[in-house]
Amino acid sequence: ALVVVCSPLPRLRGLLQRCWGRLERGLLPGFSGGQSPPWGPALAVQAPAFVPEPVSDTRERDEVPSLFESILWMAAPKKRRTIEVNRCRRRNPNKLIEVKRNIDVCPECGNLKQKHVLCGYCYAKVKAETRLIRMEIGKKERGPFNTPTVETVVLYDGEKPTEKDEGKRIIERARKRPSWFVQN
Amino acid sequence: MRLSVAAAISHGRVQRRLGLNPRSRLDLLRNLVTALVRHERIEAPWARADEMRGYAERLIEYAKLGDTDERAMRMANFWLTEKDLIHKLFKVLAPRFQPHPGSYTRLLQIPNRDSLDRAKMAVIELKGNPFPPLITPRRDTDKTLLNQLLKGYREDMQQGTPV
Repeated sequence: ALVVVCSPLPRLRGLLQRCWGRLERGLLPGFSGGQSPPWGPALAVQAPAFVPEPVSDTRERDEVPSLFESILWMAAPKKRRTIEVNRCRRRNPNKLIEVKRNIDVCPECGNLKQKHVLCGYCYAKVKAETRLIRMEIGKKERGPFNTPTVETVVLYDGEKPTEKDEGKRIIERARKRPSWFVQN
Repeated sequence: MRLSVAAAISHGRVQRRLGLNPRSRLDLLRNLVTALVRHERIEAPWARADEMRGYAERLIEYAKLGDTDERAMRMANFWLTEKDLIHKLFKVLAPRFQPHPGSYTRLLQIPNRDSLDRAKMAVIELKGNPFPPLITPRRDTDKTLLNQLLKGYREDMQQGTPV
């Protein structure tokens, strides 16, 4: 069937004419003029569905036509974006950094902390003390996999185990009891 | 009209995906549970600590059944990779939590990790551990400014109205 494509671009029309010329020459050697010859099979053979183009085509294939014609199909900005438009896009509220309103002052040390998070300073303090207690525990256990089967209690300078601490392992710490570590 | 839905809807699934595969997720959680039973207070990424919390509490509930129970012993054997902790679990933690009906752990968020990933970290601890407490509950004393002002106002009202 004949397909007529009228396109405003001369280069596009030229490319399509070349393609059609190739098809004519490749598929139907007796078809030149525009009439449609009878399409019955001259010889029924097992053939691939498409007709491969002859490889010995002296026309340049990929470099010049595809670049020059394909440039027409690539997206490119039409106009320079003005600084006003750029500012609107860059300063749009969804691109700005959110302001955090959940910052408070820790009542113990006075440092800033987020409301739902522990204070960093107080946590570092507790972590350091825990590390020292764990070192004492390590010295008492003297080796890996020696966990005792009793509870543990931590006593500071000058403290005696009470009757609640019966049967518990005592860990001694050689310093005064800190104010934030209440006994029991 | 929205023709496609967002792909990241869990549709009721509650398990997080951690590690490389489900087996590695279980191994990760198992290591964390072992560390928690050993050290009674650990720091970990919040998602892992949150995921591990449920498993740790269920393990303690199994331990409360007693160490003669076959299922409890098999659970403890799987979840605690260091076998001396099985003794600690049944002899120390089970009696400690016998009076409590549930919630044996405390999960608190700490400031983000200092390294490049700034991960959301949490500290998870067993209640009743021997270490210093992380949060000290503040008692309302009479010495705060607000309470002093209210006290003064109450006194003024008592003296003011009879006069």
